Amino acid sequence: MMSAGNRAVVDELALRHLDAAYNLGRWLLGSEQDAADAVHDAYLRAARAADTYAGGNARAWWLAIVRNCCLARLAVRNKEKKNVAIDGNPVAAERWMPRAEADEVEERVDSSRRRELIAVHLGNLPEIFREVLILREMEELSYREIADVLETPIGTVMSRLARGRALLQKALTDDGAMEAPHGL
Amino acid sequence: MDCKTASELLPLYFDGELDRATSREFEAHLDECATCQAALIQLDALRRSLRNDVPRYSAPESLRARIGKSAAGEASVMRPQPRPRVSRPWLALAASWILAFVAGGVTLSAWNQGSAPAKEESQLHRDLFASHWRALAAASPIDVVSTDQHTVKPWFAGKVAISPVVQDFADQGYALIGGRIDYAGRERVPVLVYRHGKHLIDVFVLPWKAGAESRDAVEAEGYVLETASLGGQAVAIVSDMDRGELTRFRDLLNAAGPSR
Repeated sequence: MMSAGNRAVVDELALRHLDAAYNLGRWLLGSEQDAADAVHDAYLRAARAADTYAGGNARAWWLAIVRNCCLARLAVRNKEKKNVAIDGNPVAAERWMPRAEADEVEERVDSSRRRELIAVHLGNLPEIFREVLILREMEELSYREIADVLETPIGTVMSRLARGRALLQKALTDDGAMEAPHGL
Repeated sequence: MDCKTASELLPLYFDGELDRATSREFEAHLDECATCQAALIQLDALRRSLRNDVPRYSAPESLRARIGKSAAGEASVMRPQPRPRVSRPWLALAASWILAFVAGGVTLSAWNQGSAPAKEESQLHRDLFASHWRALAAASPIDVVSTDQHTVKPWFAGKVAISPVVQDFADQGYALIGGRIDYAGRERVPVLVYRHGKHLIDVFVLPWKAGAESRDAVEAEGYVLETASLGGQAVAIVSDMDRGELTRFRDLLNAAGPSR
Protein backbone atom coordinates (compact mmCIF):
# COMPACT_ATOMS: atom_id res chain seq x y z
CA MET A 1 0.00 0.00 0.00
CA MET A 2 1.32 3.34 -0.90
CA SER A 3 0.42 6.32 1.12
CA ALA A 4 -0.41 9.42 -0.82
CA GLY A 5 1.86 11.56 1.29
CA ASN A 6 4.95 9.46 0.75
CA ARG A 7 4.33 9.26 -2.95
CA ALA A 8 4.11 13.01 -3.19
CA VAL A 9 7.38 13.24 -1.30
CA VAL A 10 9.09 10.94 -3.78
CA ASP A 11 7.75 12.86 -6.76
CA GLU A 12 8.97 16.09 -5.38
CA LEU A 13 12.31 14.58 -4.46
CA ALA A 14 12.92 13.05 -7.87
CA LEU A 15 12.08 16.24 -9.70
CA ARG A 16 14.13 18.42 -7.41
CA HIS A 17 17.22 16.23 -7.77
CA LEU A 18 16.64 15.24 -11.36
CA ASP A 19 19.75 16.93 -12.69
CA ALA A 20 21.89 15.30 -10.03
CA ALA A 21 20.39 11.93 -10.89
CA TYR A 22 20.80 12.41 -14.62
CA ASN A 23 24.34 13.70 -14.31
CA LEU A 24 25.34 10.68 -12.25
CA GLY A 25 23.68 8.35 -14.74
CA ARG A 26 25.21 10.13 -17.70
CA TRP A 27 28.70 9.82 -16.25
CA LEU A 28 28.24 6.22 -15.19
CA LEU A 29 26.63 5.03 -18.40
CA GLY A 30 28.16 7.39 -20.92
CA SER A 31 25.01 7.66 -22.98
CA GLU A 32 22.13 10.12 -22.93
CA GLN A 33 19.48 7.56 -23.69
CA ASP A 34 20.72 5.04 -21.13
CA ALA A 35 21.03 7.70 -18.48
CA ALA A 36 17.48 8.94 -19.08
CA ASP A 37 16.11 5.39 -19.03
CA ALA A 38 18.01 4.52 -15.86
CA VAL A 39 16.70 7.61 -14.09
CA HIS A 40 13.18 6.81 -15.18
CA ASP A 41 13.57 3.24 -13.87
CA ALA A 42 14.86 4.70 -10.65
CA TYR A 43 11.86 6.97 -10.36
CA LEU A 44 9.44 4.06 -10.77
CA ARG A 45 11.38 2.04 -8.25
CA ALA A 46 11.49 4.92 -5.78
CA ALA A 47 7.74 5.48 -6.14
CA ARG A 48 7.08 1.81 -5.40
CA ALA A 49 9.45 1.90 -2.45
CA ALA A 50 8.11 5.16 -1.07
CA ASP A 51 6.75 3.50 2.01
CA THR A 52 9.98 1.74 2.78
CA TYR A 53 11.84 5.00 2.97
CA ALA A 54 13.01 4.93 6.53
CA GLY A 55 14.12 8.47 7.08
CA GLY A 56 17.63 9.73 6.71
CA ASN A 57 18.95 11.87 3.93
CA ALA A 58 16.38 11.86 1.14
CA ARG A 59 18.67 12.98 -1.65
CA ALA A 60 21.12 10.20 -0.78
CA TRP A 61 18.26 7.70 -0.73
CA TRP A 62 17.14 8.80 -4.19
CA LEU A 63 20.64 8.85 -5.66
CA ALA A 64 21.31 5.39 -4.22
CA ILE A 65 18.35 4.08 -6.21
CA VAL A 66 19.54 5.89 -9.32
CA ARG A 67 22.99 4.42 -8.91
CA ASN A 68 21.63 0.91 -8.49
CA CYS A 69 19.62 1.26 -11.66
CA CYS A 70 22.73 2.44 -13.50
CA LEU A 71 24.79 -0.43 -12.18
CA ALA A 72 22.10 -2.87 -13.26
CA ARG A 73 22.31 -1.49 -16.77
CA LEU A 74 26.07 -1.67 -16.75
CA ALA A 75 25.91 -5.29 -15.66
CA VAL A 76 23.59 -6.13 -18.54
CA ARG A 77 25.80 -4.27 -20.92
CA ASN A 78 28.89 -6.10 -19.70
CA LYS A 79 27.13 -9.39 -20.11
CA GLU A 80 26.01 -8.57 -23.63
CA LYS A 81 29.63 -8.07 -24.05
CA LYS A 82 32.65 -6.48 -24.82
CA ASN A 83 31.68 -2.96 -25.31
CA VAL A 84 34.91 -1.12 -24.84
CA ALA A 85 35.45 1.76 -22.46
CA ILE A 86 32.80 4.36 -22.19
CA ASP A 87 33.87 7.69 -23.53
CA GLY A 88 36.53 8.10 -26.15
CA ASN A 89 39.67 6.17 -25.75
CA PRO A 90 42.78 6.71 -23.70
CA VAL A 91 45.02 6.71 -26.74
CA ALA A 92 43.57 9.98 -27.93
CA ALA A 93 44.47 11.52 -24.63
CA GLU A 94 47.94 10.10 -24.65
CA ARG A 95 48.74 11.83 -27.88
CA TRP A 96 48.70 15.11 -26.12
CA MET A 97 51.91 16.77 -25.28
CA PRO A 98 54.72 15.11 -23.51
CA ARG A 99 55.12 17.02 -20.30
CA ALA A 100 57.62 19.80 -20.66
CA GLU A 101 60.26 20.39 -18.05
CA ALA A 102 60.42 22.71 -15.12
CA ASP A 103 59.95 26.16 -16.64
CA GLU A 104 56.69 25.43 -18.36
CA VAL A 105 54.46 27.80 -16.39
CA GLU A 106 52.66 29.08 -19.44
CA GLU A 107 53.19 26.05 -21.51
CA ARG A 108 49.97 24.25 -20.94
CA VAL A 109 47.35 22.93 -23.22
CA ASP A 110 44.80 25.53 -24.13
CA SER A 111 41.54 25.57 -22.33
CA SER A 112 39.24 23.79 -24.76
CA ARG A 113 41.65 20.90 -25.09
CA ARG A 114 42.08 20.91 -21.38
CA ARG A 115 38.35 20.50 -20.92
CA GLU A 116 38.33 17.71 -23.40
CA LEU A 117 41.16 15.96 -21.60
CA ILE A 118 39.59 16.23 -18.20
CA ALA A 119 36.33 14.79 -19.47
CA VAL A 120 38.18 11.96 -21.19
CA HIS A 121 40.21 11.12 -18.12
CA LEU A 122 37.22 11.30 -15.82
CA GLY A 123 35.35 8.99 -18.17
CA ASN A 124 38.27 6.59 -18.18
CA LEU A 125 38.50 6.30 -14.42
CA PRO A 126 37.13 3.05 -13.03
CA GLU A 127 33.50 3.56 -12.04
CA ILE A 128 34.10 3.27 -8.32
CA PHE A 129 36.38 6.30 -8.46
CA ARG A 130 34.41 8.20 -11.05
CA GLU A 131 31.22 8.07 -9.01
CA VAL A 132 32.73 9.35 -5.78
CA LEU A 133 34.34 12.25 -7.62
CA ILE A 134 31.05 13.16 -9.24
CA LEU A 135 29.11 12.93 -6.01
CA ARG A 136 31.66 14.89 -4.04
CA GLU A 137 32.98 17.49 -6.44
CA MET A 138 30.00 18.11 -8.72
CA GLU A 139 27.04 17.30 -6.52
CA GLU A 140 28.75 18.37 -3.31
CA LEU A 141 27.52 15.53 -1.15
CA SER A 142 29.06 15.05 2.28
CA TYR A 143 30.98 11.88 3.12
CA ARG A 144 27.98 10.64 5.07
CA GLU A 145 25.66 11.16 2.12
CA ILE A 146 28.07 9.50 -0.28
CA ALA A 147 28.36 6.55 2.08
CA ASP A 148 24.55 6.30 2.01
CA VAL A 149 24.48 6.40 -1.78
CA LEU A 150 27.19 3.77 -2.18
CA GLU A 151 26.02 1.77 0.81
CA THR A 152 29.58 1.55 2.06
CA PRO A 153 31.35 2.71 5.22
CA ILE A 154 32.63 6.27 5.29
CA GLY A 155 36.20 4.95 5.42
CA THR A 156 35.69 3.41 2.01
CA VAL A 157 34.34 6.67 0.68
CA MET A 158 37.41 8.47 1.95
CA SER A 159 39.88 6.02 0.49
CA ARG A 160 38.14 5.91 -2.89
CA LEU A 161 37.95 9.66 -3.00
CA ALA A 162 41.65 9.97 -2.23
CA ARG A 163 42.54 7.35 -4.80
CA GLY A 164 40.24 8.83 -7.43
CA ARG A 165 41.65 12.29 -6.94
CA ALA A 166 45.20 10.98 -7.16
CA LEU A 167 44.49 9.00 -10.32
CA LEU A 168 42.81 11.88 -12.06
CA GLN A 169 45.48 14.27 -10.93
CA LYS A 170 48.17 12.02 -12.26
CA ALA A 171 46.47 11.51 -15.61
CA LEU A 172 46.08 15.27 -16.03
CA THR A 173 49.61 16.04 -14.95
CA ASP A 174 51.02 13.50 -17.35
CA ASP A 175 49.17 15.25 -20.13
CA GLY A 176 50.28 18.69 -19.07
CA ALA A 177 46.68 19.66 -18.47
CA MET A 178 47.62 20.55 -14.92
CA GLU A 179 50.69 21.55 -13.06
CA ALA A 180 52.60 18.79 -11.40
CA PRO A 181 51.70 18.35 -7.77
CA HIS A 182 54.19 19.85 -5.46
CA GLY A 183 56.81 17.41 -4.29
CA LEU A 184 56.15 14.73 -6.86
CA MET B 1 50.30 18.90 14.72
CA ASP B 2 52.95 17.12 12.70
CA CYS B 3 52.97 16.98 8.94
CA LYS B 4 52.00 13.34 8.77
CA THR B 5 48.85 13.88 10.78
CA ALA B 6 48.11 17.04 8.86
CA SER B 7 48.41 15.33 5.50
CA GLU B 8 45.95 12.70 6.62
CA LEU B 9 43.51 15.35 7.77
CA LEU B 10 43.98 17.49 4.70
CA PRO B 11 41.23 15.96 2.54
CA LEU B 12 38.84 16.06 5.47
CA TYR B 13 39.62 19.71 6.02
CA PHE B 14 39.23 20.40 2.33
CA ASP B 15 35.88 18.61 2.25
CA GLY B 16 34.59 20.38 5.34
CA GLU B 17 34.46 17.22 7.40
CA LEU B 18 36.70 18.26 10.29
CA ASP B 19 35.35 19.51 13.56
CA ARG B 20 36.18 23.07 14.39
CA ALA B 21 38.86 22.61 17.01
CA THR B 22 40.79 20.21 14.80
CA SER B 23 40.32 22.55 11.86
CA ARG B 24 41.95 25.28 13.86
CA GLU B 25 44.85 23.04 14.78
CA PHE B 26 45.17 22.05 11.17
CA GLU B 27 45.16 25.68 10.07
CA ALA B 28 47.91 26.45 12.54
CA HIS B 29 50.02 23.79 10.88
CA LEU B 30 49.00 24.95 7.43
CA ASP B 31 50.27 28.46 8.10
CA GLU B 32 53.74 27.06 8.48
CA CYS B 33 53.87 24.21 6.04
CA ALA B 34 54.46 24.84 2.35
CA THR B 35 53.97 21.20 1.46
CA CYS B 36 50.48 21.05 2.91
CA GLN B 37 49.62 24.40 1.35
CA ALA B 38 50.65 23.09 -2.05
CA ALA B 39 48.66 19.91 -1.55
CA LEU B 40 45.59 21.92 -0.65
CA ILE B 41 45.99 24.15 -3.69
CA GLN B 42 46.29 21.04 -5.80
CA LEU B 43 43.05 19.61 -4.47
CA ASP B 44 41.36 22.91 -5.08
CA ALA B 45 42.62 23.09 -8.68
CA LEU B 46 41.23 19.64 -9.34
CA ARG B 47 37.90 20.57 -7.83
CA ARG B 48 37.67 23.73 -9.89
CA SER B 49 38.43 21.73 -12.99
CA LEU B 50 35.70 19.27 -12.24
CA ARG B 51 33.22 22.02 -11.53
CA ASN B 52 34.10 24.34 -14.38
CA ASP B 53 35.66 22.32 -17.13
CA VAL B 54 33.59 19.18 -17.10
CA PRO B 55 29.95 19.22 -18.08
CA ARG B 56 27.40 18.66 -15.34
CA TYR B 57 24.70 17.25 -17.53
CA SER B 58 21.18 18.58 -17.07
CA ALA B 59 18.26 16.23 -17.33
CA PRO B 60 16.67 16.55 -20.78
CA GLU B 61 13.23 18.09 -20.87
CA SER B 62 11.77 14.87 -22.21
CA LEU B 63 12.85 13.01 -19.07
CA ARG B 64 11.54 15.76 -16.82
CA ALA B 65 8.25 15.67 -18.66
CA ARG B 66 8.04 11.88 -18.42
CA ILE B 67 8.52 11.95 -14.68
CA GLY B 68 6.43 15.04 -14.14
CA LYS B 69 3.58 13.38 -15.98
CA SER B 70 3.51 10.21 -13.95
CA ALA B 71 3.91 12.30 -10.84
CA ALA B 72 1.00 14.58 -11.74
CA GLY B 73 -1.21 11.59 -12.50
CA GLU B 74 -0.78 10.29 -9.02
CA ALA B 75 -0.33 13.48 -7.17
CA SER B 76 -3.29 15.51 -8.32
CA VAL B 77 -5.38 14.37 -5.38
CA MET B 78 -2.55 14.44 -2.93
CA ARG B 79 -1.62 16.95 -0.39
CA PRO B 80 2.05 17.82 -0.46
CA GLN B 81 3.83 17.07 2.76
CA PRO B 82 6.95 18.36 4.36
CA ARG B 83 9.99 16.55 3.10
CA PRO B 84 11.94 14.21 5.30
CA ARG B 85 15.20 15.89 4.37
CA VAL B 86 17.33 15.31 7.38
CA SER B 87 17.32 12.61 9.96
CA ARG B 88 18.09 14.89 12.87
CA PRO B 89 15.50 17.61 13.03
CA TRP B 90 17.63 19.84 15.20
CA LEU B 91 20.26 19.77 12.52
CA ALA B 92 17.89 21.07 9.91
CA LEU B 93 16.66 23.66 12.33
CA ALA B 94 20.17 24.69 13.18
CA ALA B 95 21.07 25.14 9.55
CA SER B 96 18.05 27.27 8.84
CA TRP B 97 18.58 29.33 11.96
CA ILE B 98 22.11 30.04 10.91
CA LEU B 99 20.82 31.32 7.61
CA ALA B 100 18.21 33.39 9.32
CA PHE B 101 20.84 34.65 11.64
CA VAL B 102 23.28 35.57 8.94
CA ALA B 103 20.53 37.31 7.05
CA GLY B 104 19.87 39.38 10.12
CA GLY B 105 16.50 37.81 10.64
CA VAL B 106 17.03 37.02 14.30
CA THR B 107 16.10 39.50 16.89
CA LEU B 108 17.13 39.02 20.43
CA SER B 109 15.29 40.56 23.28
CA ALA B 110 18.16 41.97 25.22
CA TRP B 111 18.68 41.45 28.87
CA ASN B 112 17.76 44.69 30.45
CA GLN B 113 19.77 44.68 33.61
CA GLY B 114 23.40 43.94 34.26
CA SER B 115 26.78 45.49 34.45
CA ALA B 116 27.96 45.19 30.88
CA PRO B 117 26.55 47.69 28.43
CA ALA B 118 23.45 46.22 26.89
CA LYS B 119 24.83 46.38 23.41
CA GLU B 120 27.94 44.36 24.15
CA GLU B 121 25.91 41.89 26.05
CA SER B 122 23.45 41.28 23.28
CA GLN B 123 26.38 40.84 20.93
CA LEU B 124 27.65 38.14 23.26
CA HIS B 125 24.27 36.43 23.27
CA ARG B 126 24.22 36.56 19.53
CA ASP B 127 27.65 34.90 19.45
CA LEU B 128 26.61 32.18 21.83
CA PHE B 129 23.44 31.36 19.93
CA ALA B 130 25.41 31.33 16.71
CA SER B 131 28.03 29.04 18.24
CA HIS B 132 25.37 26.66 19.39
CA TRP B 133 23.72 26.57 15.98
CA ARG B 134 27.00 26.21 14.17
CA ALA B 135 27.93 23.35 16.43
CA LEU B 136 24.60 21.65 15.74
CA ALA B 137 25.19 21.94 12.02
CA ALA B 138 28.78 20.73 12.18
CA ALA B 139 29.72 17.16 11.55
CA SER B 140 30.06 16.74 15.27
CA PRO B 141 29.05 19.24 17.93
CA ILE B 142 31.69 17.81 20.23
CA ASP B 143 35.47 17.78 20.08
CA VAL B 144 36.04 15.39 22.92
CA VAL B 145 33.39 12.74 23.16
CA SER B 146 33.12 11.32 26.61
CA THR B 147 30.55 10.68 29.23
CA ASP B 148 33.29 10.63 31.83
CA GLN B 149 33.88 13.88 33.64
CA HIS B 150 37.41 12.75 34.44
CA THR B 151 38.20 12.64 30.73
CA VAL B 152 36.47 15.84 29.77
CA LYS B 153 37.99 18.03 32.43
CA PRO B 154 41.67 17.28 31.74
CA TRP B 155 41.00 17.63 28.03
CA PHE B 156 40.45 21.34 28.55
CA ALA B 157 43.66 21.75 30.52
CA GLY B 158 46.25 23.61 28.50
CA LYS B 159 43.73 24.46 25.80
CA VAL B 160 41.84 27.16 27.64
CA ALA B 161 42.54 29.33 30.63
CA ILE B 162 39.42 28.33 32.52
CA SER B 163 39.23 24.99 34.21
CA PRO B 164 35.52 24.34 34.50
CA VAL B 165 33.67 22.20 36.98
CA VAL B 166 32.67 19.14 34.99
CA GLN B 167 29.91 17.05 36.41
CA ASP B 168 27.67 14.47 34.88
CA PHE B 169 23.95 14.69 35.63
CA ALA B 170 22.93 11.51 33.85
CA ASP B 171 21.03 10.35 36.92
CA GLN B 172 18.91 13.47 36.75
CA GLY B 173 18.31 13.04 33.00
CA TYR B 174 21.02 15.38 31.74
CA ALA B 175 23.89 13.25 30.51
CA LEU B 176 27.31 14.72 29.89
CA ILE B 177 28.32 13.75 26.36
CA GLY B 178 31.49 15.71 25.84
CA GLY B 179 33.07 19.09 25.41
CA ARG B 180 34.49 21.45 22.87
CA ILE B 181 36.25 24.77 22.72
CA ASP B 182 34.45 27.72 21.29
CA TYR B 183 34.59 31.46 21.28
CA ALA B 184 32.71 33.89 23.47
CA GLY B 185 33.67 37.22 21.99
CA ARG B 186 37.40 36.87 21.54
CA GLU B 187 37.92 34.48 24.39
CA ARG B 188 38.37 30.79 23.87
CA VAL B 189 36.10 29.15 26.38
CA PRO B 190 35.26 25.61 27.36
CA VAL B 191 31.85 24.36 26.34
CA LEU B 192 30.33 21.39 28.11
CA VAL B 193 27.84 19.46 26.04
CA TYR B 194 24.94 17.63 27.61
CA ARG B 195 22.06 15.72 26.20
CA HIS B 196 18.54 15.69 27.55
CA GLY B 197 16.24 13.45 25.53
CA LYS B 198 16.58 14.72 21.99
CA HIS B 199 17.88 18.08 23.06
CA LEU B 200 21.48 19.08 22.93
CA ILE B 201 22.62 21.50 25.58
CA ASP B 202 25.68 23.72 25.36
CA VAL B 203 27.09 25.14 28.56
CA PHE B 204 29.51 27.98 27.76
CA VAL B 205 31.81 28.64 30.68
CA LEU B 206 32.35 32.39 30.60
CA PRO B 207 35.56 34.06 31.63
CA TRP B 208 34.14 35.89 34.62
CA LYS B 209 32.64 35.18 38.02
CA ALA B 210 28.95 34.62 38.34
CA GLY B 211 27.07 37.67 39.61
CA ALA B 212 24.62 37.49 42.44
CA GLU B 213 21.67 38.84 40.52
CA SER B 214 19.55 36.46 38.51
CA ARG B 215 18.76 37.30 34.94
CA ASP B 216 15.93 36.70 32.58
CA ALA B 217 16.41 34.12 29.92
CA VAL B 218 16.88 35.33 26.35
CA GLU B 219 15.11 33.63 23.53
CA ALA B 220 15.88 33.42 19.83
CA GLU B 221 13.98 31.34 17.33
CA GLY B 222 12.92 28.70 19.79
CA TYR B 223 16.29 28.47 21.49
CA VAL B 224 16.83 29.78 24.97
CA LEU B 225 19.90 31.20 26.61
CA GLU B 226 20.01 31.26 30.37
CA THR B 227 22.79 32.10 32.77
CA ALA B 228 23.83 30.14 35.80
CA SER B 229 26.74 29.74 38.12
CA LEU B 230 28.96 26.71 37.92
CA GLY B 231 31.37 26.48 40.82
CA GLY B 232 31.28 30.26 41.03
CA GLN B 233 31.99 30.76 37.34
CA ALA B 234 29.41 32.40 35.11
CA VAL B 235 28.00 30.08 32.50
CA ALA B 236 25.50 30.46 29.69
CA ILE B 237 23.23 27.55 28.87
CA VAL B 238 21.93 27.39 25.31
CA SER B 239 19.39 24.82 24.22
CA ASP B 240 15.99 24.25 22.71
CA MET B 241 14.61 22.52 25.79
CA ASP B 242 11.43 23.90 27.23
CA ARG B 243 11.70 26.36 30.07
CA GLY B 244 10.85 23.91 32.82
CA GLU B 245 13.55 21.47 31.78
CA LEU B 246 16.00 24.29 31.40
CA THR B 247 15.29 25.65 34.86
CA ARG B 248 15.78 22.22 36.36
CA PHE B 249 19.12 21.92 34.60
CA ARG B 250 20.14 25.41 35.68
CA ASP B 251 19.42 24.54 39.29
CA LEU B 252 21.59 21.43 38.98
CA LEU B 253 24.47 23.52 37.69
CA ASN B 254 24.02 26.13 40.38
CA ALA B 255 24.19 23.41 43.00
CA ALA B 256 27.22 21.68 41.48
CA GLY B 257 30.24 21.50 43.72
CA PRO B 258 33.45 23.44 43.26
CA SER B 259 36.12 22.18 40.95
CA ARG B 260 37.25 18.74 41.83
